[in-house]
Amino acid sequence: MMPRFNPFPVVGADLRRNRLLAWVTVLLMALSVATGIAVISQERALRQGSARAADDFDLLVGAPGSNTQLVLTAVYLRPQAIPLLDGDLLAKAGSAAGVKYAAPIAFGDNWQGHAIVGTIADFVSRGGTLQPTQGRIFQRRGEAVVGAGVALAIGATFSPAHGLHLPADDEATHGDPGHDAAHYTVVGRLPPRENIWDTAILVPIEDVWSVHGLSIGHAASGVSRIGPPWDAGHLSGVPAIAIKPDSVASAYRLRAQWRTPRSVALFPAEVLNDLYLTLGNVRDLMSVLAITTEVLVVAAVLMALLVGFLARQRQFSVLRAIGASRLYVFCVVWIEVVLLITTGAALGVMLGWLGSNGLSHWMQSQFGFAMPVRLGATEEVLVAGLIVTGSIVATLPAWLVFKRPIAEGLVSH
Amino acid sequence: MSGKGDLHVRDLLVRFVGQSHPLFSIAALDLPSGCSLGISGISGAGKTTLFHCLAGIARPASGQIEWGGTDIGALSADGLCRWRHRHLGLVFQDFHLVEGLSMLDNVLLPACFDRWKLAPALQQRARDLLTAVGLSAWDRLTALLSRGERQRVALARALLLQPAIVMADEPTASLDPDHRTQIGDLLVELVRAQGATLLVVTHEQELLLRMDRCVRLAQGALQEFSVS
Repeated sequence: MMPRFNPFPVVGADLRRNRLLAWVTVLLMALSVATGIAVISQERALRQGSARAADDFDLLVGAPGSNTQLVLTAVYLRPQAIPLLDGDLLAKAGSAAGVKYAAPIAFGDNWQGHAIVGTIADFVSRGGTLQPTQGRIFQRRGEAVVGAGVALAIGATFSPAHGLHLPADDEATHGDPGHDAAHYTVVGRLPPRENIWDTAILVPIEDVWSVHGLSIGHAASGVSRIGPPWDAGHLSGVPAIAIKPDSVASAYRLRAQWRTPRSVALFPAEVLNDLYLTLGNVRDLMSVLAITTEVLVVAAVLMALLVGFLARQRQFSVLRAIGASRLYVFCVVWIEVVLLITTGAALGVMLGWLGSNGLSHWMQSQFGFAMPVRLGATEEVLVAGLIVTGSIVATLPAWLVFKRPIAEGLVSH
Repeated sequence: MSGKGDLHVRDLLVRFVGQSHPLFSIAALDLPSGCSLGISGISGAGKTTLFHCLAGIARPASGQIEWGGTDIGALSADGLCRWRHRHLGLVFQDFHLVEGLSMLDNVLLPACFDRWKLAPALQQRARDLLTAVGLSAWDRLTALLSRGERQRVALARALLLQPAIVMADEPTASLDPDHRTQIGDLLVELVRAQGATLLVVTHEQELLLRMDRCVRLAQGALQEFSVS
């Protein structure tokens, strides 16, 4: 059914005539919405991105110290000076009941800024669940598997540099025969994991130990072997062990078992949970600030629009004098306000999404883990709430114009 | 049987809110459909207020205003809007066009008050009216027009829906002498051609001369007079 009147010619004319006010209104709304969207979506992206990185670490064992440092070092490859676990504990972890695999995670070297992580094949394949997109998992000493983001082709060879991540640390390598003599050949590439491990190079831990002049976990007769079983007497210390339990029950039992004076055991997800609680508080605060800002902006914008409409009261009185109904004039004012608010909100969603993505890319370049930005229900509710509230509040100027006597409007200027 | 442009005013009393003293009173005023009436008077006599009352824009303190058999005092606010839309064309001293609209869209504006889509015949009528008042290049925004051109557009707008009554409040007062004569002539000719009743509030002798009857509002009463 066609509407009984057409207010859009007047709406369009008003917006054209007052284009500066219209643009300022839309931009203010857009910036306010964009801030809210960016805060909420970034917090979610950070939570999801960081949680994804921790997916591969069910149970983490390290030497007593800071749990957060252990998680940052092992999960996010942000190496810090943490104490090493005694080597015999690695052999013990690998043979414990309920353990699918116990993978050492050792650092110390890099290639052009990419962390070289010493571990075992089971960890590289995540217990057989992760297949390389190219090549294969390493099977012998001197082989390396690279993350999806490492610019090394299959078959390429390279030498490790001593130091963690930073190329400047390479200076420490010069004249170090252990590093100069070591060479790795890339034999496989892992699929993208959208976390810092995409930038890592994984090698047999025996090579990392060897390069640093440490015992390589095997007796002299087994120097070419890689991975478990280990010879307990020949194991060197490791910063962390990633344990894959065979069940949830085993995970909790193992965590209890490994909480000893010589070791700590933790679920990275638990540590992250503490972080999320803090983040959650920050998000709540930011959300309140964002919503308060939006309310203030909407109130300021509506006040400006109201003043604008009252200044144009004569035009509305003329419309009514020449035959427009009060409903027509009400609709003109209401549609103008709603159009401005909706356009501002839509532009704000776009700006917020773009800004949030930009921030995510920057965070990824800084911290290594991807933070995929997706607009969720909270943002939808925020924007819908703004539009609905704006639409309801927009009835105020419309009603004031609606109520004003025609003669008063015609003679008041 | 009365025509839609017949006017009958009885016992009209108008006073400003809060004042006991009436601004003016009119015992009786009758005007047959198709006639023209000039309303004159000194500033402050209440001409514009009378204009507003006759157009249903303001309500008198008491009395009856009947147009074509319709007592407009008995109509609701929206009923009055509908009545004005169907039967009345208004021309103001300051034109009161919508500045963001083109000439053609301004003329077509009253048609948007009761329909979504404008029929081609109506659009053609708007173009014909603009031609009749001597305007071309109809897509020009009215903000760019001269005062004379704006009043021509306002006149075309008032005539679009072929109203039985056309009322003009000082239609030539803000124009230069050349335009005054042209617009006055156009107003009278076009309204006559349409057979509508014409009420004009004006000081202009030249325009009053073109009216069938003239009344002056003075000292709170309406007096008929002839212009010579």
